[in-house]
Amino acid sequence: MTINTLSQDGVQRQQMPCLTKMERMIISMQDPDMGIKLRNQRLLITVIPHAMTGLDIVEWLIKKCSISDEEALHVGQLFVKYGYIYPLKEPRNLILKADDSSYRFQTPYYWMSTRWPASELDYAIYLAKKNIRKQGELIEYEKECYNALHKRINHTWDFVVMQAREQLRASKQRRKGDRIVLECQEQAYWLVNRPPVSPEHYKLTTLTKNTIKLYDFETIFSQRFYVKYCEQYQPHDPIMQGCLPSNPWITDDIMFWNMNSETVALPTKLRVERWSFSFMELLNDQMGRKEFLTYLEKEFSAENLCFWQACEDVRHGETAKIPEKVDEVYKQFLAPGASRWVNIDSKTMEKTLEGLKRPHRFVLDDAQMHIYFLMKKDSYPRYLKSELYKNLLARAIVPQETKKSVFPFMRRQRHSSPSPALATQTAEDDGKAKYSNSNSGTASRL
Amino acid sequence: MGKDECKTMLDALNKVTACYRHLVIALGSTSDSQNLREELKKTRKKAQELAVANRTKLTSLLKDKNISKDDRAEYERLWVLFTSSVELLEVDMKRSLEIGQDFPLKVPTRHLIQTGMTGSTTTVAARAMSVQNMKYEADANIDTVDLKELETEIAQVDQMMEEMEMKVQVAPWAVEAKQEAGAELKSTVSVGNSSVGVISICEEEPKETVEGETGLMKVFAGVIFTAVLLIAGILGYLVINL
Repeated sequence: MTINTLSQDGVQRQQMPCLTKMERMIISMQDPDMGIKLRNQRLLITVIPHAMTGLDIVEWLIKKCSISDEEALHVGQLFVKYGYIYPLKEPRNLILKADDSSYRFQTPYYWMSTRWPASELDYAIYLAKKNIRKQGELIEYEKECYNALHKRINHTWDFVVMQAREQLRASKQRRKGDRIVLECQEQAYWLVNRPPVSPEHYKLTTLTKNTIKLYDFETIFSQRFYVKYCEQYQPHDPIMQGCLPSNPWITDDIMFWNMNSETVALPTKLRVERWSFSFMELLNDQMGRKEFLTYLEKEFSAENLCFWQACEDVRHGETAKIPEKVDEVYKQFLAPGASRWVNIDSKTMEKTLEGLKRPHRFVLDDAQMHIYFLMKKDSYPRYLKSELYKNLLARAIVPQETKKSVFPFMRRQRHSSPSPALATQTAEDDGKAKYSNSNSGTASRL
Repeated sequence: MGKDECKTMLDALNKVTACYRHLVIALGSTSDSQNLREELKKTRKKAQELAVANRTKLTSLLKDKNISKDDRAEYERLWVLFTSSVELLEVDMKRSLEIGQDFPLKVPTRHLIQTGMTGSTTTVAARAMSVQNMKYEADANIDTVDLKELETEIAQVDQMMEEMEMKVQVAPWAVEAKQEAGAELKSTVSVGNSSVGVISICEEEPKETVEGETGLMKVFAGVIFTAVLLIAGILGYLVINL
């Protein structure tokens, strides 16, 4: 049992923007003058209006949006895939064909919407209705879903049956044409929301094509970010790309660490490249920070970085020293007429000065954040374009991979370091031996 | 008996919920009209009255401590039916608010979605209200006025559901349904037969020809029958006259 409370503070998920755009387009297709030309669908005795061919849709899209054939077909496919338009001849085949196969619009109640996800109860009612209409002849996957639902929501099964019967009775009150349309609409809705599961690639394809998951905008966004991150960092990953000159854990050669230490004269190329990925990368690397400081000194804005470093010190340092550190910071950077005065906006300055009366670890956070973003937006991009950085990048060394010796028996064998357990045991044995030697009287001590 | 009364009231609520859902499906499409908005309003109000009546009855029955275990189990089952019905009703009300806001009627060019449904929903509404014919007496701007009322009503239903959740301690998972899977097939009311032929039309293509054949055959049979009648009539006339 679920209680849907209409909470004002937005627990309900937002509609995906692309769905809103699609809906607007569908509405513009209804325009009596500029909309799509509609025909009648002839079904022996009944005539149902408002059908259109795939070609009509594609042509309308080309005219309305001034796009190419291919793009119009693709956009049309999206409409069908997300259930705004459904095919009439082959309902299970949710694709748009640019020929004379007919399609129809879906009623707004059944529009794809993240605000009203298709619930299990509704699906159960639909399957029960279908069961009644078809006298028990459901398709295989529908039968499975039916049985699964019967187990899962067993407590409301009576309601499902009652409601299914009543809904069928209500639809009997309509004309035949309307009844056909209603059934086609509902079927199309459920084909989009509960697509049939192909037994071969069960997990792989269906879960990735699972329409409900695709509507989670945050997932898509974070997936893309993750892919971009992996692509960017792959050349820098010692496991994925290998380590130049050689992996110290394998060859016992510590050149790699020496070349990447903080006090080396010339950094490696990979290291310098990594500074361009994000501002945090630059600041986290001591050498990067030093280089950035030299650049800022040339630009006469070095006090920003010093202020930022001082704030970091306050945040991560000893609690007892906080008041005096904060005082130092104030005298050096924030006081009017200070030697290295930083440019903070008045509101943040006021807030910080208020907070300075009772200094604590995070009192300088606002100001630090302001300066951080100032540097990130302003100085950092300029640094990346500057001569200083480019020169360093050109001078940076690419270490040579250590040549593996040709003759196998000349190669240094890998010795794993002795296990700590062995070390302590030998020490114990030595200790015991010494003890037993010195105390020959006492035999068993343990 | 309390149980039977409850059951009839629940059946009524169930019927009105189903009809309301049917009406909301037509909202925003070419079946939409002033009349539909009025029908929605009336059906909604009736549904709410029934819901409140059901709730009072069921809560009073469940609060009674001197009922037997079987009775209590039965009342809990009816309670779960009632809450599911009210949930469906609430979701449909919210959806109708949204769609009603997106598709106003009093605009110079209405952009209702052309879904192929052109008939009216009067009969469905009449079924919901249990009357023979519906009377329409609302004024022209019902679509905007009604939406405000709808918002307040949704808030009321939400509140009612919260109260129900707090006050009545029924564990829904402990309730066992009386119907097994496939119980709807044993229905005494034949909802199936008349619609079976209809559905095959929108399902697969081959079935269309089957439907076509039976239709043609009917027409053929009719033609042959009238021809036979005519011939018999002519022969009889000739026999009498000669």
